Amino acid sequence: MTDATYKLPPQTPFLRKIQNSLFSSPLNTLLSIATAVFFIFIIVKFVDWAFLSSIWHAEDEPLCKEAGGACWSVIDARHRIIFFGLFPYEEHWRSTVACAVMITTIVASCIPWFWSAAKLSTLWLLGFCTFYLLMHGGLFGLSVITPERWGGLALTIFIFAAVSIIGMPLSIVLALGRRSKLPVIARLFGLFIDFFRSLPLLTILFTAAVITPFVLPGWLQGDKLYRVIVGFAIFFACYQAENIRAGLQAIPSGQDEAGLTLGLKYMQRVTRIQLPQAFRNSLPSIVNQFVITFKETSIVTIVGFFEILASGSAAFGTGKWTVYYIEVYVFIATIYFIFVFSLSRYGAYLERKLRVGHG
Amino acid sequence: MVDQVNSDIPAVTMEQVNKWFDDFHVLKDINLQVADGEKVVVCGPSGSGKSTLIRCICKLEDHQRGTIKVLGTELNDNVANIDEIRREVGMVFQQFNLFPHMTVLENCTLALTLVRKKSRKEAEAIAMQFLEKVRIPEQSAKYPGELSGGQQQRVAIARSLCMNPEILLFDEPTSALDPEMISEVLDVMVALAEEGMTMVCVTHEMGFARRVADRVIFMDQGEIVEQNSPHKFFDNPSNERTKLFLSQILQH
Ligand SMILES: Nc1ncnc2c1ncn2[C@@H]1O[C@H](COP(=O)(O)OP(=O)(O)O)[C@@H](O)[C@H]1O
Ligand SMILES: [Mg+2]
Repeated sequence: MTDATYKLPPQTPFLRKIQNSLFSSPLNTLLSIATAVFFIFIIVKFVDWAFLSSIWHAEDEPLCKEAGGACWSVIDARHRIIFFGLFPYEEHWRSTVACAVMITTIVASCIPWFWSAAKLSTLWLLGFCTFYLLMHGGLFGLSVITPERWGGLALTIFIFAAVSIIGMPLSIVLALGRRSKLPVIARLFGLFIDFFRSLPLLTILFTAAVITPFVLPGWLQGDKLYRVIVGFAIFFACYQAENIRAGLQAIPSGQDEAGLTLGLKYMQRVTRIQLPQAFRNSLPSIVNQFVITFKETSIVTIVGFFEILASGSAAFGTGKWTVYYIEVYVFIATIYFIFVFSLSRYGAYLERKLRVGHG
Repeated sequence: MVDQVNSDIPAVTMEQVNKWFDDFHVLKDINLQVADGEKVVVCGPSGSGKSTLIRCICKLEDHQRGTIKVLGTELNDNVANIDEIRREVGMVFQQFNLFPHMTVLENCTLALTLVRKKSRKEAEAIAMQFLEKVRIPEQSAKYPGELSGGQQQRVAIARSLCMNPEILLFDEPTSALDPEMISEVLDVMVALAEEGMTMVCVTHEMGFARRVADRVIFMDQGEIVEQNSPHKFFDNPSNERTKLFLSQILQH
């Protein structure tokens, strides 16, 4: 043997590892086999339902009864309702492109190369303007479509993106305010945060949609959609502020003192020393808040918006399609899954990236 | 060194300084003068107020009574004064306090670019110069978490030096280190002392104190109990409390 062989740690063979973790005792073996059988049963059943015995085309719907599997005909026939809600049929391409623009903007802002205030704000300004132009129209010969008629996936993504982009900076301000050295400021911010956190999101959205028009002057009201987004963003920011504050609190006081003795000003210490470490510290709960928010967008149905879940209900709400709600929900669940799963994978990637070099 | 009569403005002057944490009297009637270029070692039992004393000098703590002047500027609530003083006074901490999310080089260039308004290129050149001085230039691209304690503390010293401070304060810079790393940090501090840096060091490294200190100050229960040249302080202490303390730290 050469010296090099000794430098590697002893390896456990693959089969031995499996044996150790799954079949180490009779009880363990029994549990492993039972679990395996259970999962194989479920997976076989699902694959059969979704792919083998299923019907795919809208015009084949009459065959669904005998087939016994999923009737994807409902998706084939009604997917436009799911994706576009009440958006006028001939303008669906605008909603598709707007969606693509917004998703591209979100994905791009996840890339570290864009992480400077200038690049991010340019990106989001462009993203939102393009989205608005496409959805709302009124320029370049595009017909005007008011927000009441926006719907489906585009609306869900728009609400999520807008809430995040308004809520994130606000949450940072709130978290810093609550940690202010001036007791009055800290109390006021604390009160604000706790007030909005103790209200149900439903109440906030309802107030924003229905009650604020009576209170605010006309020029300040904006469209109902924007009021709802602002209410949602405040709610999001109050929760996110607490996540960020937890991250700030975990930073040893010596970090700020080191910044002080180097002569850094408050904002310099906040942006260069505190926030980067706070984000790293509470990344899991920050990502969690985004995930929750994405899923909670469905609540805007209550104030009369047809986001993707509501559009889905409309998709199986008429005629012969009423029996196929399972297929529609599975389809929508898949769309949610794609977004939420990507979000959490991205969170995991960020965690790995930010951990580089500090254990 | 003690002939301050014809030297410039003293680096630090503390007159009748008193400080309380709530109703705990942590500094009692402190009078201390540090001349330009002087090296002062502060020692004393744990909890005697050594850290608080030097933290007052760079305004990490506020004092409630008496006056502190640094480089002729009084430390009061005038924000401009405080900012100016902090730029001229460097501090090296027991726990290093390097920024964990930045590389060694970024740790050093941060204040150069933000406070001294150097270009990135200039800042990096200055930082590399001081990293070489603490004999660690090859680690510049690493993160603090990848370095040993001794290396981290040397980076922290380089980071302070980048600001070209008039006064450098050390709060037990070797207390958090494994024994075999203490000397690499002390060597750097000795070299700085020999170049004429004004230094106030809280430390129990008696070899270091004997070698570089102009004066050793002994604190107990918030008071300066005794101050003397290292030679007299260690070989012929006058105060009972000093004798007890020295016998305790020299036992092993
Ligand atoms: N921020 C603080 N709040 C309250 N008490 C403190 C604080 N910092 C230090 N003290 C107390 O003041 C005394 C002196 O502390 P310190 O200056 O750190 O002593 P030393 O550095 O000599 O060990 C100790 O009794 C300590 O408990
Ligand atoms: Mg101390």
